[in-house]
Amino acid sequence: MSTTLPAPTNLDALTRRRRRGGGYFASPSGWLSVSVLVVFALTAIFGPMIVDKPSGLGADILQPPSAQHWFGTDDLGQDVFAQVVWGTRVSLIVGAAASVIAIVIGTALGLIGAYVRRLDPIVTTLTDVMLSLPLLPLMILVTALAGPSVLTLTVVIGVLSWAEVARLIRSNALVVSSMPYIDGARVLGAGPVRILSTEILPAVMPLVVVSVLLQAARAVISEAGLSFLGMGDPSTWSWGRILLNAQRSGVIATAWWQTLFPSLAILVLVLAATIAGIRYNDSRDPRLRGI
Amino acid sequence: MLHYASKKVLRAVLTIWIAVTITFFLLRLLPADPTLLVVEGDMTPEMQQALREQYGLDKPLFVQYLLYLGELLTGNLGVSFRQLVPVADVLLARLPWTLLLAGSAFVLTILIGIPLGVYAAVGRGKVVDKLVQFLGITSNALFVPSVAILLLVVFAANLKLFPIGGAIDPDTRGLAAYASLLQHLALPLFSLVLVQVGPYALTLRTNMLEVLGEDYIKSARSRGYTPRRTTWLHALRNAFIPALTLMGLQLGTLVGGAVLTETIFAYPGVGRLIYESVQQLDYPMLQGAFVMLALTVVLANLATDLIAMFLNPRIRT
Repeated sequence: MSTTLPAPTNLDALTRRRRRGGGYFASPSGWLSVSVLVVFALTAIFGPMIVDKPSGLGADILQPPSAQHWFGTDDLGQDVFAQVVWGTRVSLIVGAAASVIAIVIGTALGLIGAYVRRLDPIVTTLTDVMLSLPLLPLMILVTALAGPSVLTLTVVIGVLSWAEVARLIRSNALVVSSMPYIDGARVLGAGPVRILSTEILPAVMPLVVVSVLLQAARAVISEAGLSFLGMGDPSTWSWGRILLNAQRSGVIATAWWQTLFPSLAILVLVLAATIAGIRYNDSRDPRLRGI
Repeated sequence: MLHYASKKVLRAVLTIWIAVTITFFLLRLLPADPTLLVVEGDMTPEMQQALREQYGLDKPLFVQYLLYLGELLTGNLGVSFRQLVPVADVLLARLPWTLLLAGSAFVLTILIGIPLGVYAAVGRGKVVDKLVQFLGITSNALFVPSVAILLLVVFAANLKLFPIGGAIDPDTRGLAAYASLLQHLALPLFSLVLVQVGPYALTLRTNMLEVLGEDYIKSARSRGYTPRRTTWLHALRNAFIPALTLMGLQLGTLVGGAVLTETIFAYPGVGRLIYESVQQLDYPMLQGAFVMLALTVVLANLATDLIAMFLNPRIRT
């Protein structure tokens, strides 16, 4: 993603273009991705109120999808549809909360690195180190030691995935902080905290919004990966755990419904979040806005 | 050039040191007493005390840290809780399989990604470009176990073109053994490549677009070189360098993907070992696996940086 700062020249043309539409919802990818995200959010909030929590043993074991069991049943006779619905809540909570943690840390470090010269080498080195470590094995180790729970997963994923955000925000804040109006603010006597929070942060805010969506998508995948490896909360459902159950009971090759539906849920959610992020980016870029 | 190389080496050493330090403090700070993690019920106080001394837990934290670093330098990663064998031995036996899998995924991603990225950039806005962009976004959204399961169900379980798991058929000898090796490698490899190739092709496309607008491309064209030659020789050479650096940074993700795909295909690498160790709560094994994978990734990353350096005339001279 390149910088999305609108060129300051020809402001009239810019505003005219904005008035003519070409906003976020002008393209089908805009409203489609947002509606998918809304459906997932509604499922996460209201789904568990309507669908019973899957537990215990059912009579119908390993049934393919039918009118009674939309997504079939697993080897314990539990309804896979109910598992997917209950898993939506955990996946969304972990995805959103971990993304917020990563964004807060990453944005703070990125801004500091870009504006405070003396701290920049430390920030860039730390970012490079975090980027080059194999994060999944590290997340596994930390989660295993801290004890698997939804809270652990959220914190571990959030705290370990800020590096990409920091790099993105730093490189863009560097462009902003060399602009004349920052010098102007400094001449007027604004301190570094004020300049960072009221001058530079608003300028990189669009990028922060995009990062929230992209990081949430990555966090959903990380959560599914950790749950799939058995690092999830054993008392809650998650999409990764459904796959793990299929793997453990050795029905991967036969009970396609038990792996297909949670996989589709992950794919559609991550795609929607990614496309929503890209669309937001594009809709703000004057070069890409259709006239 | 020496300055650049030494900077990269220094950064690699720093990264490994940080990784090792993180694991040390994780193991010391999170649980109250690591010996409690070892025991499963009946262990006499004397045995616990012996264990504490064995791990050096009766000494101050800083001394413990130095001891730990010393042990690591001699290649001692501790003893597995469950198998009661040195962690390093188990890991070293498994590592070649992960290296084979991740290494071939790395190479194959580049080999497939280059033409995709180049054709998308050259045909900007055309169907091929749209297709590559679609592939890029979708591939980035794929969950490795999902892809692996899909490939397993379709190509191994139903079409029976490939084996369902494992790394090699032990009864094969000579050429047949290599064929068996490749057959077992194919599906885990493709699950990784499918996930990696999209973002790589997109990066290469962006770099190519940038490079194709440069003056030296115009100058090469005006000197009479064919468009094909300028694209594949002059432009690709310069677009490839930042893309290679990016692949180096992606190595950590690649190894994470290997952990997941090995689990599905029962591939006997470090990833499958991690899955087994999670089921058995074998902490020293998990810790050792992270340290060893971090070391591998950092060294491979250093290698890609050095290769990029040799390809880049601006740093080389």
